[in-house]
Amino acid sequence: MDEMDKQTQELLALLEPTAEDAPPPVSLALAQVKQQLATGQEDIWVAGFRRFLAVPGRRYATAGVLALFFLLFAFSFPTVRAAANEFLSLFRVQNFAAITISPAQIALLNKVAVDGLTPGKVEILADPGQLTPVNSLRAAAARAGMASVRTIDALGEPAAIYVSAPGSGRLTVDLAGARGILAAVGADPLLLPDSLDGAQVNVAVFAGVDQQWEDIHFLQSPSPLVEYPDGLDTIVLGRALLQLLGLNAAEAARLSQEIDWTSTLLLPIPQDIASYREVTVDGVSGMAVSELDGRAATLIWQKDGIIYTLFGNHSAEELLTLTNSLK
Amino acid sequence: MGDANNSEPEKETAVTALSDNLLLERISQGDAASFEAVFYAHYDRVYGLLFRLMGNRDEAEDLTQEVFLQLHHHAYRRRLFNLQREHNIGAWLYRTATNMGYNAIRGRQRRWQRNLVLVPDAAGSPGVDKEVERQEQATAVRRTLARLPERQTQLLLMRQMGFSYQECAQVCGVAPGSVGTLLARANKAFKQVYEEEMGVGG
Repeated sequence: MDEMDKQTQELLALLEPTAEDAPPPVSLALAQVKQQLATGQEDIWVAGFRRFLAVPGRRYATAGVLALFFLLFAFSFPTVRAAANEFLSLFRVQNFAAITISPAQIALLNKVAVDGLTPGKVEILADPGQLTPVNSLRAAAARAGMASVRTIDALGEPAAIYVSAPGSGRLTVDLAGARGILAAVGADPLLLPDSLDGAQVNVAVFAGVDQQWEDIHFLQSPSPLVEYPDGLDTIVLGRALLQLLGLNAAEAARLSQEIDWTSTLLLPIPQDIASYREVTVDGVSGMAVSELDGRAATLIWQKDGIIYTLFGNHSAEELLTLTNSLK
Repeated sequence: MGDANNSEPEKETAVTALSDNLLLERISQGDAASFEAVFYAHYDRVYGLLFRLMGNRDEAEDLTQEVFLQLHHHAYRRRLFNLQREHNIGAWLYRTATNMGYNAIRGRQRRWQRNLVLVPDAAGSPGVDKEVERQEQATAVRRTLARLPERQTQLLLMRQMGFSYQECAQVCGVAPGSVGTLLARANKAFKQVYEEEMGVGG
C-alpha cells in the first residue's frame, strides 16, 4: 500500500468493526433477506413504474415513449393497459403532462385487473421482437430509418447501441367491459358513448435507437402513429381516463378541457414513488420524473417529431446537465 | 483486518465458479443457491465497507441487507430487459454499497445528525479514557471521509480493507493503471482534511 502512508492506514483502521460490531451470522442475515424478498414483493404496477423510471426497458422503450406506457401496463394490469391503449392512443405525442396517482387508486386498479375486467380485445399485429445490436450510430440510423441519431457527447462512445424494429397493435373496444372498469373504480360508466362499442384503435410504433452507457440509457424514436375512428370525443374519453386515475368528477371535467388529447402524453406518477416537474430540455419543454429517494430519474421530451428519453441512476439535474452536450 | 469473520466457506458451492453473468441469470430465475453463493461470498466485505462509512452496526446491517435486495431486483430487471452486457457482481455490490452509504450519510446531514456515531457509555469501566479517545479519533476520520469526494473515500476504504488494485478499478470504473495515482491523491486529500478536522474539533 505504497500510495497510502502508515498514518492514513492507522487512522482508517480505527473504523474497522470490533467484535462488538460484528454483524449477525451470515446465515441469519441471509434468512432475513430471503424473508424480505418473500414478503416484500412490490406491487407489480409499482415495480413496472420503477422499471419505467430507472431500468433499461429497452425492448419497448426504444420503440417510442408511448410504447413505454404499453410496457408499463402490459406487464402490470392488462385491464388498464387496454384502457390506456384506448385513450392514450388517441394522440400523436407532442407534449407531456403528468398526474399523480395514489397508492389507493393503484390498489383499486389492480383489483380491477385481478377481477378480469377488460375493455376490449388487444391484438399484436406486428411484434417488434428482439433488439438488434449495431456497432455505430450511423448503422443505427440506417437500420432505424432515421436521418441521424443524436447522442450525449459528454458520455463518450456508448457501451452498446441497439435498434428496435417497428411494431403495431389494435384494440377493439368492448363497451360493456370498458364501462365495467369505470364503474369498478367509482367513475361514471356512461361517460363512454354507445358509439364506442366495437371501435378500433390502431397503434403503430416506429423503429428506435437505444444507446447505453454504464448506468444511463438514451432512447429516441419517432412519435407513434395512431388511427382511431372519426367522431370520437377525445375530451370525454380523457375525462374518463382522469377519473380512472383517481381524479374526482369535477377535477376530471375541468382538467380534461385543458389538455389537448390529440397531442399530449399523460404520465401517471405514483405519488409514493416519484415526483415530477416541467423542465426545459434540449430547448423545448419536457418532463423530469424523479424517484423520491433521488436515486434515479427520467427526462422525456419531444423535438422535431422525435421522442427522447434519458434515464438512469442519477438525479434529474445531472441528467439535464448531460443534455447540454447533445449532438 | 480486524473484521469479525462470519463467513461460512462450507456453504459456498461450485456455483461460485459460475460467471457473474450466469449467476445473475440464475438469480433472476429464482435460483436460491446462486443468490446464496453471492451472499456468502460478499456479505462480510459489504458489511465491512458500510460499517466503516456509517460507524454503527444497526445502520450497516440494514444497508447491507438493502444492497443484496437491490442485487436481487437488479438481476430480475436485467433478465426482464434481456441485458447481455458483461457484469461484475462484486463491483456492482461495492459500488451500490458506497452509494447507499453516502445517501444515508446525506440523510443524516439533512436530519442535522451529521457525523453522529454511537459512543458507548463507558463510564466506570477501566480504560475509559483510551476508548473515548479512540472513538473521537474514529469520528474525526469519518468526518474527514464524508468531506472527501465519494470515489476517494471508496478507494481509501477498499484499499485499507485489502481490495486489490484490480478490484478497486472495477468498482470505481477506472483503469487499473490509474488506481495508484488516484489513491495517492486520495491519501493526500485525506491527510489535509483530517488535519483540518483535528484543528477544528481537536
